Amino acid sequence: MIEVKNVTKKFGRKKVLQGVSFTANKGEITCLIGVNGVGKTTILNGIVNLTPMSSGEILIDGEKLTKETYEKVAFIPDAITMLPHMRIEEAMQFMQDFYNSWNNERAEELLQFFKLKKEDRISSLSKGNVAKANLLLGLALDVDYLLMDEPFSGIDIFSREQIADVFTSHLVEDRGVIITTHEINDIEHIIDKVVLLDDGIVFKEFETEEMREVEGKSVVDVMREVYRG
Amino acid sequence: MNNYLKLVNFELGRFIKIYFILAGITIASQLIATVLVANNYMKLFNEEIYTNGMTTEQFVETHGEFSLLHVQYSQLFDFPIIFAAATLIIYSFFIWYRDWLGKNTFIYRLLMLPTARINIYLAKASAIFLMVLGLVALQVILLNVESNILKWMVPANLRVDLGIMEFIGNAVGGFSVGLIIPTSFIEFLIHYGVGFMVVFILFTAILFERSYRFKGIAYGIGYAIIAFVVFFAPFVVEMILGKSYLYPIELFILEVLLWVVVTGVSIWVSNYLLNKKVTV
Repeated sequence: MIEVKNVTKKFGRKKVLQGVSFTANKGEITCLIGVNGVGKTTILNGIVNLTPMSSGEILIDGEKLTKETYEKVAFIPDAITMLPHMRIEEAMQFMQDFYNSWNNERAEELLQFFKLKKEDRISSLSKGNVAKANLLLGLALDVDYLLMDEPFSGIDIFSREQIADVFTSHLVEDRGVIITTHEINDIEHIIDKVVLLDDGIVFKEFETEEMREVEGKSVVDVMREVYRG
Repeated sequence: MNNYLKLVNFELGRFIKIYFILAGITIASQLIATVLVANNYMKLFNEEIYTNGMTTEQFVETHGEFSLLHVQYSQLFDFPIIFAAATLIIYSFFIWYRDWLGKNTFIYRLLMLPTARINIYLAKASAIFLMVLGLVALQVILLNVESNILKWMVPANLRVDLGIMEFIGNAVGGFSVGLIIPTSFIEFLIHYGVGFMVVFILFTAILFERSYRFKGIAYGIGYAIIAFVVFFAPFVVEMILGKSYLYPIELFILEVLLWVVVTGVSIWVSNYLLNKKVTV
């Protein structure tokens, strides 16, 4: 389980996070939702210690982050984190060199799934294919948790569909996923849990199925209530 | 250790093309300088002998015997050394900032590697050191080659063959060659020890800036000033008091200790910043 406990973050005088707490379980897809600038990316950066938090605590399976945690948690930011001049196969080799959790078979499978060519340079790929290559580098790690920052932003509908398909496939199942997105429609049916953020706090946290069954509301219905008042 | 070596290899690979270009410029420029200067000397010799009727002895008396020392006055000889040094100094900044700049922010990947983050710092520093020492080695080889070119172009009765150490010991025109290849091992340790310490201090200052941004610039500069003051404190004290209280060997040992302190603190502070403060 990933536990975010009363986390705050200030950038200069601006308080972006003002005591955010939530949990994300293994085997579930947790979606962080909020308008731009609400601190979704900051939370993900905080979980993997890419940005230090001002206060609070983040635990992964009950432990604080260490260098070994990166074999257990993979973060897929909204831009690819490889050098542009690298070919996809070189990026894969780089990952294999450093991560014990790299699963080359799965990487090959993902290449086929996304119809990517190994010999293509990252800089020559279309936006959609860069997003897919980025996902490949994260998903091919045998990790327990995946953090994805806006995996659908700015890419075409077919690529979006293909990426959404990943969530329902064996490539993701059994892992804990935290995802931030604006394009809720693409993945509403697969989300297990929603964390709604507003003004640097968790405004509402709910299980989607329970919400549907008990209150008869979809995620979008709840969002409408919260953000439109 | 394994990951550190992989990172060093990776960092070297990222700069290797430009590095080979630097080496190429150095080789080409210095060889051209050698041939041109030797050629001019022989032209002068022919002119004095055949046009002005000088004897060889008179020529040598008037113009001196030719040696590698003549070549060092050529700008083509000095230019690549200064150019390579300047490039590596600039790259010492860029080796960090290139990971933050642009769309493909590679620093995310580096910081998420399952290895101690200090390895990133040590690998970048090691890459700079290896590239510096590589160019120094190239210069030593080049001096040998240049010496042989002279033997081939200038007759034995007109030249003095200098060993590399003799050449460096006497080099005055081209200050840079004497700086990059000191004449004694102790001097070599001093030059490169201080140089590498400066790289560590610079890297720590950069990490201050990357951790605290605007405020970090002030912290970084402050840190660098304090580090230099500490390292040069014995000299500063001597200057202020106008007397030296230490024998040279005592001063040397004290400086070695201060070097260990300043370098150690730089690495320690950088480790702290990389783990607790740095932000993507």
